[in-house]
Amino acid sequence: MQVTIKLFAALRWKLFEEEVREYPEGTTVAQLAADLGIPAPEIGIRLVNGRHCPFEQVLQDGDTVFLMPPIGGG
Amino acid sequence: MKIRGNDPANDPSSILYQRCTIDLPARAVRMEDVPCRNVEDVLGGFGRSFQVLAERTITDPYSPENPLILNTGLLTGSNVMTGMRSYFSAYSPLKKSGKGLPGAMWSAGSGDFGNRFKWTGLDEVIFEGCADIPIYVVLRTGESGPQVEFHSAEHLLGLNAHQKIMSLAAAHPGGHFAVIGPAGENYRTVRMGAIALSTEGQLKSDQPKMRFAGRGGLGSLMGYKNLIAIVAISSLKLDKITFAIRDVNRDIVKSPGSARFQPASQGGGGGTWANIEVLEAFHAVPLNNFRPKGNDDVKKLYRDQVEKVFDIASEGCFRCGIRCHNNLYVRNEDGSRGKLAAKFDFEPLILFGSNLGVHDPKQVAELIHLCDSLGMDAISLGTTISYLLDYNERHPEKPLLNGATFGDFEKVRELIEQTGRGQAPALGQGVRRLSEEVGETAYAMHVKGLEIPAYLADTNPGYLFAIAGGHMSMGTHMLYAKEGKSTVEEWTQAITTTGLLQVGYDMVGLCKFVGLGIGHDLIVTGIRETTGLQISSEQVIAAVRRAYLRGLALELRQGYSDEEYTLPPQVLSSPNPKITLPSFITEEFLAQLRKKVWSVFLPEMEGLLPDK
Ligand code: SF4
Repeated sequence: MQVTIKLFAALRWKLFEEEVREYPEGTTVAQLAADLGIPAPEIGIRLVNGRHCPFEQVLQDGDTVFLMPPIGGG
Repeated sequence: MKIRGNDPANDPSSILYQRCTIDLPARAVRMEDVPCRNVEDVLGGFGRSFQVLAERTITDPYSPENPLILNTGLLTGSNVMTGMRSYFSAYSPLKKSGKGLPGAMWSAGSGDFGNRFKWTGLDEVIFEGCADIPIYVVLRTGESGPQVEFHSAEHLLGLNAHQKIMSLAAAHPGGHFAVIGPAGENYRTVRMGAIALSTEGQLKSDQPKMRFAGRGGLGSLMGYKNLIAIVAISSLKLDKITFAIRDVNRDIVKSPGSARFQPASQGGGGGTWANIEVLEAFHAVPLNNFRPKGNDDVKKLYRDQVEKVFDIASEGCFRCGIRCHNNLYVRNEDGSRGKLAAKFDFEPLILFGSNLGVHDPKQVAELIHLCDSLGMDAISLGTTISYLLDYNERHPEKPLLNGATFGDFEKVRELIEQTGRGQAPALGQGVRRLSEEVGETAYAMHVKGLEIPAYLADTNPGYLFAIAGGHMSMGTHMLYAKEGKSTVEEWTQAITTTGLLQVGYDMVGLCKFVGLGIGHDLIVTGIRETTGLQISSEQVIAAVRRAYLRGLALELRQGYSDEEYTLPPQVLSSPNPKITLPSFITEEFLAQLRKKVWSVFLPEMEGLLPDK
């Protein structure tokens, strides 16, 4: 299946801004992150099709995944 | 501090802090060792100062009875990384309740002033009354304890904050400085004056690398007191770093919490600047007075765009491995690094950039630099100007002041200059007073009289319960973007359990960018190793919670009504469709939230204020 991946801020600087990749059915967000070589603590926000999701979420063909680093301020 | 016992929770009075009360009109000084009443006193910062403020009845911030309290936290001046905070507390010239009474405020800053102040041997200075002429006060270590001197400050008047610091540095080598800018001097027409704190990097380079205690207009209160600067002179008093402290510092640098703020070149998140890119993914970056338009304008302020124009250096405070400052240097024609243009953090970058419709990094840098030089709070000024631009766009036939509208860099620049010089009282009084004066309060972006920072109110109902600045005193400002939580129950839980603990860092003397919960073991270990005090995480958390709730109780005592615990009306009446996160805040939502949060907080607030 095809998944569109968009990366932001530090993740974008290190890897890429947007790519479409092929993954087997049943791939989770955690597996996608591992495939990209991004350790879990470096991901602060995960969205699938614009909605927050857990690492365990199973992806579907055509999904768009946003991965963002942890953010903070104060 | 005099530490004669090691159990602050059960025997706080065995720990004494040194208070210096300075009667400015009489130029009289009283030193005393004050036994701590509770763990809040021991931890310090606003946890201690608010107990002093609670003893006073203040109806006018510009009255001699309103004290300015300078203090530190337990770990200020210690070997624990980031331990250099100093705190200023008072009844604010800016924050006011619907009844017109001033709200109690504190404002915190890093820089080297806090350390040098702590090493004089003082833990707290209370400035009472007003000096008859402009003065500065020198606090120094003496043979038999801390000493205080008074000097005329006539020669400093009119200088910008950096110039004042450099002038004082020439007169007092080895000192560090807390100064006001022209804004604070013009306190009558500028209620948002900040206090600039010197750094070693600034003194060595003669570049304006200051830190600021900005919120609440406490620099304006200094101006009212005719106190133009405070100088701290002491020698470096750091103990040898123990293995345990070395481990604490290593863990702080390695923690994912602080990694967010570390240099991008070293694999960190690049500081708060990165927030732009993440929030922009939701179209949740403030634009044109907090109304994102769903366009790409803000991308011009992304780090990689700015890098094309400026040299960006990751720098930090004294011995801090987090190094969160993104300092922008002018790139000379030959490619070498020129002078410092500005420091880019999320707040000033947005509030003097996209929120004013300005997207040229050079122009934004100039506006930030000007605000800093004149010594104003970037959040209050930026948010008040964005209101004015909004008003002018809505009323082209009858604009205010110079008629500036969004994107009009030259006119905005003029407004900042005029405000800092006391020539634009409409702006200097802040957005609440301005909007009430012109009769259009719906799009005035403040909560309880304090301008909101660069996180949209549309995404943060936690602002209702912030007690000293929207994101400084309630850690929920990015909760919606981070976790997408949108039920009353989830927000009640966040506000009453974790959000309020944000203020703990404004007690202990460390910087929030340590990025760990205040109850984390590293804090407990840091306290034990540097002071010998045995305190548990639970006891720290309980004290922070009481301190926060005391602040909330003080708000109520100053006349805040339940209706004031709300968001700017426009957020409720006209949800912004451009924000890609679902809109969830309604009048009904806020009514339920207030009910649930108060039902948790009110019983705990009983007895936290002294009987009057
Ligand atoms: S985290 Fe940043 S502001 Fe805090 S002490 Fe370190 S360099 Fe200074």
